Amino acid sequence: MKVAVIGAGIAGLATAYFLAKEGVKVEVYEQKFLLHGASGRNSGGITAQFGDEELIKLAIRSEELYDKLQSEIGFNFLLRRNGYLKLANSIDELREIEVQKKAGLKVKMLEPEEVKDIFEDINTKAFKFASFYPKGAVVFPWAVIWGLAKGCRELGVEVRDFTKVEVVAENGKVKGVNFGEFREADVVVNAAGAWSKEINEKLGIKDQKTIVKEEICVTESIKPYIDPYIMHVSNGLFLSQSMRGEIVGGIVGRANGDMRSSLDFLIRYAKLATELVPKLKGLAVLRQWAGIYDETPNGRPKIGFSEIKGLFQLNGFGRKGMSIALACAEKASKEILKFTQEV
Amino acid sequence: MRKVVCRCEDLTEEEIIHAIEMGYDDIESLKRYTGATTGPCQGKGCLMHILRILSQKTGKSIEEIGITTQRPPVNPVPLYILASGEEK
Repeated sequence: MKVAVIGAGIAGLATAYFLAKEGVKVEVYEQKFLLHGASGRNSGGITAQFGDEELIKLAIRSEELYDKLQSEIGFNFLLRRNGYLKLANSIDELREIEVQKKAGLKVKMLEPEEVKDIFEDINTKAFKFASFYPKGAVVFPWAVIWGLAKGCRELGVEVRDFTKVEVVAENGKVKGVNFGEFREADVVVNAAGAWSKEINEKLGIKDQKTIVKEEICVTESIKPYIDPYIMHVSNGLFLSQSMRGEIVGGIVGRANGDMRSSLDFLIRYAKLATELVPKLKGLAVLRQWAGIYDETPNGRPKIGFSEIKGLFQLNGFGRKGMSIALACAEKASKEILKFTQEV
Repeated sequence: MRKVVCRCEDLTEEEIIHAIEMGYDDIESLKRYTGATTGPCQGKGCLMHILRILSQKTGKSIEEIGITTQRPPVNPVPLYILASGEEK
C-alpha cells in the first residue's frame, strides 16, 4: 500500500507523518521549495475563535497536536501562547463568540481599556469591541514545516522538493503520480493548497474554491514586547511580533490569483498599523511579500475521498491553515488508513 | 578564525556550510533556514557570499543556483513615510 501526497505544506507533511507512524509507505511531492506555499508565507497566528463549532473543535485538537508533535519530533516550533485578540468596530462582527462559548472555548469580551492591560501601546480609539482568547498563539510557520519534514524523513518518508507531479487516474481510479517518471500509488492526497483547485480541475473534478491573495510585511527588529496576536476584523489589519523581534503584519486578503507584492498594500497597512499602534510609526519596513490560499464557500476545509477512487482531498483551509491543519491531517490519516486496510 | 558572511544575522561561513550539509541546499531554503538575506540589508551585503559558498559546496554554477526573490522595498522605509502615501 502506497500513498502519494501532493504538497509539502503543513497539511501534507502532517498527514504523511501520521501515516508513516502507522507503517504506511508515503512519498511527499512539492512543486517548488518547502515553504513556497501558504505554509511558508503566513504570519503564524493561531486561534480557535471561529464561528463554526466544527472548526473550533479542529482548532482545539490542533493545539494539542502542536505540543505533542514538538516533543515527539524533537523540534522547536517556536510557539508561544500569549493570546489572540480580535478587535472590531461593531459588536455584530464578534457575535461568533456565542458559538465559541457554547463550544466550551474560554474566550471573553474585553473593554478597550482592558485591552490596554494586554498591550499598553494600543490606541483604544481605533476599535470599540474586543474578544480575547488567552490560549491563542503565535507560531513560527517555517519551524513547523522544517520540523514536520524532519519527522517525516526520520520515519522513512521521501519528501521530494522541486517535483511537480500530475495525478494519473484511469477508469475513475487513481493509479499514481507522474513527474516525468511514473510512481504507483493506491491513494493520492491533494494537499496542494492554492494549487489544489487546478489539480482537481485537470482531473475533471468540480472545485468551487476561491483563490485569495494576501500580503504581509515585516519591520526591523525591536525587543519583543507585543504579546498577543492582534486581528482587527473590521478593516482586516493583523499584526504580531515574532521571536526575532520583527513586527509581522498584513491585511486580510481578497480574491486575486497573482503573488506579486504591491505598494498600495504597504501604504494601507502603514496607515492602519500606525493608527492602531501609533508608537510603531518610526519602525522601518524591511521586506514585503504576498501569498495565496484556497477558500471554500462555507469556510470549512475539504477532507475526504472524492469521486475518483483513491483521490483524497485535503485542502480549502483558507487563512485558517496554521490553526486547524494538524487536526485535519490527523483526521485524514485515519480515513486513509481505514481505506488502505479495506483494499 | 570566524568568517562572518552575514552581518545582520551574525552568520558565519561555517554555519552556512552546516545548513547546506543538513539538506537546505537550494538558495530559497538556505535563505530561510539560516536567515541570511532577511535582515536589514536584505541581502545586499551577504547574498554574493551565500551564493559563492553554495556553489562551492554543491558544484552548481551561480546561474544554476539562481538568486532569491528580491522583495520590495529596496531600502527600509519607516511606516510614517509609507502612511503619508496616497491609496489608489
